[in-house]
Amino acid sequence: MTTPMMCTPPTPGIGLRLAHLEEMVAARPPVGWLEVHPENFLANPHAAELLAELSVHYPVSIHTVGISVGTASGIDRLHLIRIRGLVDQINPIFVSGHLAWSSYGNEYLNDLLPLPYTEETARLVTSHVDELQNTLGRPYLIENPASYVGFKSSAMNETVFLHEIVQRTGCRLLCDVSNVVVSAHNMGSNPQTYIDDFPAEAIAEIHLGGFTPVEDEATPGAELWIDTHAAPIAERSWDLYAHALRRFGPKPTLIEWDNQLPRLTTLVGEARYADRVARTILMETAHADAG
Amino acid sequence: MRTLAEIQADFRNAVIHGDTNGIAHELVGGLKPDRRLSVHQRNYETSLVDALLVKFPATGWLIGTPFLTHAAKDFIRAHPPTAPCIAEYGDSFPAFLSVCALAERVSYLRDFAELEWHVGQVAIAVDFAPISAEAFSGVVPDALPNFRLKLQPGLRYLNTSWPVDELMKLYLTETAPEQLELASIEIWLEIRGARGQFQFNRLNPAEFVFRKCISEGGSIGEAAECSLDTDTGVDPGHVLAALISDGLATTVTQTADQHHDNF
Repeated sequence: MTTPMMCTPPTPGIGLRLAHLEEMVAARPPVGWLEVHPENFLANPHAAELLAELSVHYPVSIHTVGISVGTASGIDRLHLIRIRGLVDQINPIFVSGHLAWSSYGNEYLNDLLPLPYTEETARLVTSHVDELQNTLGRPYLIENPASYVGFKSSAMNETVFLHEIVQRTGCRLLCDVSNVVVSAHNMGSNPQTYIDDFPAEAIAEIHLGGFTPVEDEATPGAELWIDTHAAPIAERSWDLYAHALRRFGPKPTLIEWDNQLPRLTTLVGEARYADRVARTILMETAHADAG
Repeated sequence: MRTLAEIQADFRNAVIHGDTNGIAHELVGGLKPDRRLSVHQRNYETSLVDALLVKFPATGWLIGTPFLTHAAKDFIRAHPPTAPCIAEYGDSFPAFLSVCALAERVSYLRDFAELEWHVGQVAIAVDFAPISAEAFSGVVPDALPNFRLKLQPGLRYLNTSWPVDELMKLYLTETAPEQLELASIEIWLEIRGARGQFQFNRLNPAEFVFRKCISEGGSIGEAAECSLDTDTGVDPGHVLAALISDGLATTVTQTADQHHDNF
């Protein structure tokens, strides 16, 4: 896959949801870039029209929730063709999706469901990512999931699995730092170790989003953290973000907030904070190099 | 070892139907990992129920949110989405509502919900530059019946035996009386919208069938026959002229592969 992507945005961006769309068009706040779920725009011609207008002023990334790279029954080719149409229209800086499955036969389950990390799954995901990249004519970014359960049959851990997919397909990765925090808490692993083992050379983008603690029905008295994107970014996610930047270097970063949406200015504020964290790490690294 | 397809079949049963028997022994995570499947069950149910409630707020106003929520839960179990664009999910929900228990007492429930579905669809459409009557200036009258028109995307047609448009206006203007009894009356509605705006207008039956036939891909001749079947006194030429002057047609074609914006 040799198609170059547009140059990456210098400052953090925000996930753009329909509720903020008209305000975004009118106010055009200073954020580095925008990321959209294509599923919200493919079904809404008016929103797609406004997005095309915004794409003149901001770099735009397409983050699909409907391309199910891990579905045993095959990806939805009709949906892929529709996404290709949007890609052709707005020429996004990235096209990304999740390491998950969402479809079963002709049913769409509207959730990001977990995969066992086996050779069979690796072959399937490889085949689907190849098809995606060939259809879209550009690299596809795969995002690490937020996990609540795993599978006894998994033969490799998630970072090894991602490394395999990168090696086999040449795809890029989207490292969702908050998902790392959530999964590590829920599955009892170390988030720093996950970041240290993540295939750094393939990272094209970082996500940060809020999570919500609930009672863990599997373990009385314990908390389960849910990747709701309905809250401010937690302190421990910011801390892991700093750790990730020290390891990965500066990367395009996006603030995700999908539910219980705050005012647009709150999202912009979170993006500014991410920028401050990134600049601090950059200076810290520069001083260390100079010393 | 079980195949991925087998695992996903069992996982799907757990998510949609709450049957965790097939998948529980496969999982890790916490002391009783299968309990965590409730996260995915809630994600599935809540996200889709919320999507339907957002699409049918007026129907919720009519029958109450608890009833609509209950019906939505039944609907998503019986009719899971078949594609990822959830904004397009729910077109068959009005028909599903019509067989729910409450529908026996609210005869117009299906038609009201259908009107609301159509309003939601036309409001997110974009309209295009309409053609004018001059587009037909070079057409000999005998050839006109063979032409087809493409209409604005934000147009829907609904024939109903209840004045659901009046009911919708009550909802939109927040002027509902304490009690309301609707009398059955057949109406022919055109729902039109674009870019966040919408309106619905009553048409006469002949005009309705003409426009509906055109919107479904019928030729001008076929639409004229439909309108004459409905009302022998109608002038199809007049009905066509009104369609054009209302700015509803965007292209005119003689055959499937010949476009004639101008002749």
